[in-house]
Amino acid sequence: MRLYNSKPDEKRLQYENNCEVGVFSKLTNAYCLVAIGGSENFYSTFEAELADVIPVVKTSIAGTRIIGRLCAGNKKGLLLPHNTTDQELQHLRNSLPDSVVVQRIEERLSALGNCISCNDHVALTHPDLDKETEELIADVLGVEVFRQTVAGNILVGSYCTFSNIGGLVHPHTSIEDLDELSTLLQVPLVAGTVNRGSDVIAAGLTVTDWTAFCGSDTTATELSVIESVFKLREAKPSALVDEMRKSLIDTYV
Amino acid sequence: MFFTFFLQFMMPIRVLQPYRMPRKPKKNNRLVTFSPFGRSIAMATRSWRATKEVEKPERQNKDLATSSLNGFKDNIKDKIQQSDSSDDEEFEGDVQADFVFFDPKPDDFHGVKLLLQTYLDNLQWDLSGFVDLILGQPTVGTVVKIENDEDDGVYSVVSALNLGRYKASSCFLFCDSKCVLELKDFLLKVCQDMYVLGKLKSLVGEHVQHVGLLVSQRVVNLPPQLLPPLYDGLFEEVEWATEDEPTKELQSSFRFRFYLIISKIYKHKNADQNRGTLKNGEESVIYNRPEDEIFFEVPSGMFSVLLLSYQCANLTSIKCFCSLAHGHSVFAYMHSRLLLMRQLKNYRPMGLVMAVEACKISSFREQLHLLIDE
Repeated sequence: MRLYNSKPDEKRLQYENNCEVGVFSKLTNAYCLVAIGGSENFYSTFEAELADVIPVVKTSIAGTRIIGRLCAGNKKGLLLPHNTTDQELQHLRNSLPDSVVVQRIEERLSALGNCISCNDHVALTHPDLDKETEELIADVLGVEVFRQTVAGNILVGSYCTFSNIGGLVHPHTSIEDLDELSTLLQVPLVAGTVNRGSDVIAAGLTVTDWTAFCGSDTTATELSVIESVFKLREAKPSALVDEMRKSLIDTYV
Repeated sequence: MFFTFFLQFMMPIRVLQPYRMPRKPKKNNRLVTFSPFGRSIAMATRSWRATKEVEKPERQNKDLATSSLNGFKDNIKDKIQQSDSSDDEEFEGDVQADFVFFDPKPDDFHGVKLLLQTYLDNLQWDLSGFVDLILGQPTVGTVVKIENDEDDGVYSVVSALNLGRYKASSCFLFCDSKCVLELKDFLLKVCQDMYVLGKLKSLVGEHVQHVGLLVSQRVVNLPPQLLPPLYDGLFEEVEWATEDEPTKELQSSFRFRFYLIISKIYKHKNADQNRGTLKNGEESVIYNRPEDEIFFEVPSGMFSVLLLSYQCANLTSIKCFCSLAHGHSVFAYMHSRLLLMRQLKNYRPMGLVMAVEACKISSFREQLHLLIDE
């Protein structure tokens, strides 16, 4: 049995009856972007949890609400697609901390959130991304970039989510792939689902190093997997985590 | 950047129902739309389609998941060669689709939830719980899919739920489950008319055991030829359930006296009365669904015991209920939607709540057959 000595750091929410919270928000260790529109509930959940730690900014990108899928970022920077308007760019530059470099990039694949998945040290990208974009990612985000696929899917930004502590990938990822990715990313990974069996991980889940938000359809089993791999509980590891550790590839060098 | 290819789900469409109904091979019919307005939209999109080129066939094939599309690649290539060809559009670029009817299963959760996103306008409610109710009732209800579809997309769902049946598991007997409570509250809240409110209250209050919520949602471009068998199937299942269900209680829960229907229409801004055409030939009400026209039509209350319409809060966003496997039709829908929006500028979107007596259902079925099978 597990003992909880702090309230769970998992928040289940929805945006207009839609459980794809990773589509309408972008969460990093230094800031949080939330889409305009929808009820205030969505925004206020983020604010209640994060406001005293990091700025929570309401915005649109290219006039749309699907900001989580259009932009990519970590604590050092934020990359925006070419169709971001000047006002949006200015608004973001003003609202985000000065340490965060906000850059609009010219890239044919404009859904950067679907093409790039990153934490503060490593990024996985779509295999067809331009060379210049790859260099920009390495510069602006300060990460090492790897072109990879996840379970045969080229949209790595959609099918995996990882923080500096752990990561969740597409449920059909093979053990060898998990191995390889874990070595590249230097964090433990687990293959799982979110939002009641949905394999689009990044759409249903956003994480920082200390908290995570997932869609309200997420089952208790999925939640416990997420809590374990992202180490969101301060309590001592339960049997579940120990069991899981055997199948996780810990490659702490 | 509009997508360039509009696919209509044309005949032949074979309706396969593995469990009950025999195969019904259909003749070659033109696509039937159910109002003059709808027909003009269909014509407009056809002529638009003829003037555009077609995108690469490889991408098409990846998107289209059904196996019965072998002729499709050739159709596209033909079109590239004769790019300005005119309108021999009966068979060019048409998709053959075999629709199959299934009982609702828990696996259909995501598809059904997507179809029901705007069921109660923009209210945030326990939609997942509601979808679970539908899927937990395999004996009454149908889900429409395409045969051999890789993505297993749900194209339509119909069901009849007894609103008095679903109680919250945590409390003992008297409180409804969360989604049913929220649904009832919503209905009572949108009703502005005092007289109708009284009737509505009795339907969701004391007489709720005899009321069935008729849930019927589909993707926008689902062929209307599917509707008669779909509805026939549903009402037959309700009849069978009154005999086949394991307990007497469940059997009697399907003896509906009324069916409650929540739907959407467009009402002309200048319309004073509920029906009839206005002086410049525009119709006063436009129906999204043909069966609504039948239910709504008769003013003397032959069908509708109760009728109320309410202002829709959120219809500016374009919600497309087409599955990913048929992403191309999303774009076509968006383009025809823009045409629609231009022509709909005089209309206001309204929600519609109707209650229909169950004894009148057989004549509804007949009329639906007449309307669609012509």
